[in-house]
Amino acid sequence: MIQNYLAQLARELDFDRSLSRCVLEEVEDHLCEAVAANSAGNDSEAQRQVIANFGNVRAIASEFVVVSLARQSRRAGVAALLVIVSVFIAMKARVAWYAATQWAICEDMRAVGSLVGLIDRYAFLSSLVVGLGAWFYIRSGPIPSAFDPAYRRQLRHFFLLCGAAAAALVVSVISDAVLTALQLQGTDLSAEFLVPILSMAIEIACVGILVSRIRGVTLRAASLTQT
Amino acid sequence: MLKGHLDMIVLAALAAGSAHGYAVIQEIKRRSGGAFDLPEGTIYPALHRLEQAGLLSGRWTTADSGRRRRVYTLTKAGNRALADRHAVWKQFSDAIAGLLAGSRPRENPA
Repeated sequence: MIQNYLAQLARELDFDRSLSRCVLEEVEDHLCEAVAANSAGNDSEAQRQVIANFGNVRAIASEFVVVSLARQSRRAGVAALLVIVSVFIAMKARVAWYAATQWAICEDMRAVGSLVGLIDRYAFLSSLVVGLGAWFYIRSGPIPSAFDPAYRRQLRHFFLLCGAAAAALVVSVISDAVLTALQLQGTDLSAEFLVPILSMAIEIACVGILVSRIRGVTLRAASLTQT
Repeated sequence: MLKGHLDMIVLAALAAGSAHGYAVIQEIKRRSGGAFDLPEGTIYPALHRLEQAGLLSGRWTTADSGRRRRVYTLTKAGNRALADRHAVWKQFSDAIAGLLAGSRPRENPA
């Protein structure tokens, strides 16, 4: 009877597999302990009473929707910050490499380079500020017991902030790519190209991961809030 | 009404020390004299929510039965939140007690 109840709960919690695993283990421990402590004469009657006391699986699972959304959005906030820091490290490594190898943008492209550099700097700073704001916003907000309009608004604002941070980071990475192309222009192909190319690849991969993660969490939140 | 105060009830039950979900429910029943007999399953979303909010910390242990068991502990933020909610509740209950003191339900005029 308990296994059947747990299977029903697992089906209802299917929207978040890792949360489901954790909850099922806790609930199984709870039900077994409650059956052992139950004074009903036979085991099946004890199991029936314990399951009745525990409550309806659908009602319990619906309360976990908010927990799941809070978990996913907070993780997305942390992921955004990690990606921004990774892009910064890759950017700094490339600049240090240029200094070490004494590579510079050719004279006639210097004006374009400084304009793109300016765009890069402000886009990156914007993504950092907005990303930090998104993280603070989602961390400081309360987690309600039910999915209410205030929490819906809070999530919408958070996803907007994350989207804005990701967009600014995309602009920064595109600017980096342009600057890298200007740096490498007219230079003979050599093994030294590996560092800027690799750092650019890391930046692009980081931004790709961030965008796909934010998109995934947003879609998941939209599907959970519709059910 | 009970549901609106579930977070405070859970935090208060854990103020005495770390406990797993079943023990939290038993503590709530014991300390409320059996008055708070809520569906036991509702305690787990509350525990997870409070953990997400940083008011509780959870860790896995192994019970005597050999099963894995998640034990929850009040964090510093949880202690502060409990003290805040306690103060608000006391203010509210004093206000209601003041209102009710001396008032007597009217006799039905009919």
